[in-house]
Amino acid sequence: MILADQLAAYLTRTAGQPVEVRNLARISGGASRETYRYDAVLLGETRGYILRRDPPGSLIDTDRRLEFLAIRSFEPKGVAAPRAILLEETGAELQRPFFIMERVEGGTAASAFQTDPYGAHAAAIGERFFSIMGAIAGEAIEGLPILEVLDPPAPQDCWRRELDYWSGVIDADEEHPQPIVRAAIRRLRRDPPPPPAKLAVVHGDYRTGNFLHDGAGHIVALLDWEMAHIGDPLEDLAWAMDPLWTQVGDPRISGMVPRDQALAIWRRASGLDIDLRALKWWSLFASVKGQAIWTSAAREWRASGMIEPILGVSGWYTARRQDQILADQLLTWSAP
Amino acid sequence: MTPSLPDIMLGQVAALSAPMPPEAAGDYLVGRLGLVAMLSILAAQEAERGIDSRVWENAAIRDLLARAAAPADCPAAADLTWSALDRENACLRRSLIDVHVAAEEAGDAVLDLEILHLYQEMAERRRLDLPPTP
Repeated sequence: MILADQLAAYLTRTAGQPVEVRNLARISGGASRETYRYDAVLLGETRGYILRRDPPGSLIDTDRRLEFLAIRSFEPKGVAAPRAILLEETGAELQRPFFIMERVEGGTAASAFQTDPYGAHAAAIGERFFSIMGAIAGEAIEGLPILEVLDPPAPQDCWRRELDYWSGVIDADEEHPQPIVRAAIRRLRRDPPPPPAKLAVVHGDYRTGNFLHDGAGHIVALLDWEMAHIGDPLEDLAWAMDPLWTQVGDPRISGMVPRDQALAIWRRASGLDIDLRALKWWSLFASVKGQAIWTSAAREWRASGMIEPILGVSGWYTARRQDQILADQLLTWSAP
Repeated sequence: MTPSLPDIMLGQVAALSAPMPPEAAGDYLVGRLGLVAMLSILAAQEAERGIDSRVWENAAIRDLLARAAAPADCPAAADLTWSALDRENACLRRSLIDVHVAAEEAGDAVLDLEILHLYQEMAERRRLDLPPTP
């Protein structure tokens, strides 16, 4: 049975009414879940949806309930999150776990590799990009649905929990010794950051390419919440500003706005100050986390028969670029 | 470093010959083919520079380890194949990590800085240049 028929069978059973699935098409939408767009026809009414299904193998091992609840936490807050509709953790007719969101129309996602991705609207996109990030950082975590599946760390433990996790990923997935990222991990452990002024929801993959924009300077949906967690809000800021997401030679963060302007927008939107020492720590950490993800990509690419070119690009080109970024950062870090 | 160029080329064949379900046709397939094309461009760069960068890196690490009085117990590659050079490289990199940890623990800032500069050049010589993407 093809996927459209499986989905129609599931929707018909759970709705108790015949549901027709039309125009099902896979789209690029993160390397950790298969993403599809489709139209559902129920009682003569047609609506657009997005299906996110677990793949047989994945770049990042994440819980789809977490992603579902992260979206639920912010969609009512006006943070450009799509509306999460349904979560099916058994897989049922689709055989693998999945969830469904409303489809946001009129938006496109830039590629992280694109040259000048936002053109004449770069400054407007940058304003919205860092404002939304600041709004998430400034949001009180108490009462958010995502707390159903997450235990907030003690503020002083935010850095250790993240570093332990991502260095563990490298330990598990490394296929060739990586002295550069190992040196960075040791530096981070020796010189931890101060605790955050407040705990916040960290999106976990907040960067160019992970939002839809309308081509006229507006962000219409923030995507890929699968690595969301509670932590230091500077983590998202540092990840978004990692040089990996910026074309070599472009002075703007991700082809949007210069760094100082980005920080000013974030401060204004979050109501939080930025400890530059902490931001420096989280910046080196961001590159370690990146290298961990690319290390996993290389392993997964091989394990899954080398058929997914996005895993090949991530595990090869991106890993090498990340090593350059890490090596440059290490030279400006303090001596042992 | 993985994947090696032979891995990438085998992957290109695997990606192009994998059967696709009907729902993958359209934008997804176009995007996937774009990635295959990008990998081909990067593979051309690696074919030109990859052996040279590995030979250089292996010699540079050996040299540094010898100067740090910790000569590597790593057999030299028997030939200039990717696999032989990578085996030698893996052994040398493990030794380099050990020497770097020892330098940090001893507070040897001079050796630490020398190793960090070596890292920078290792990363630069393995650089792959992304083609402009409109």
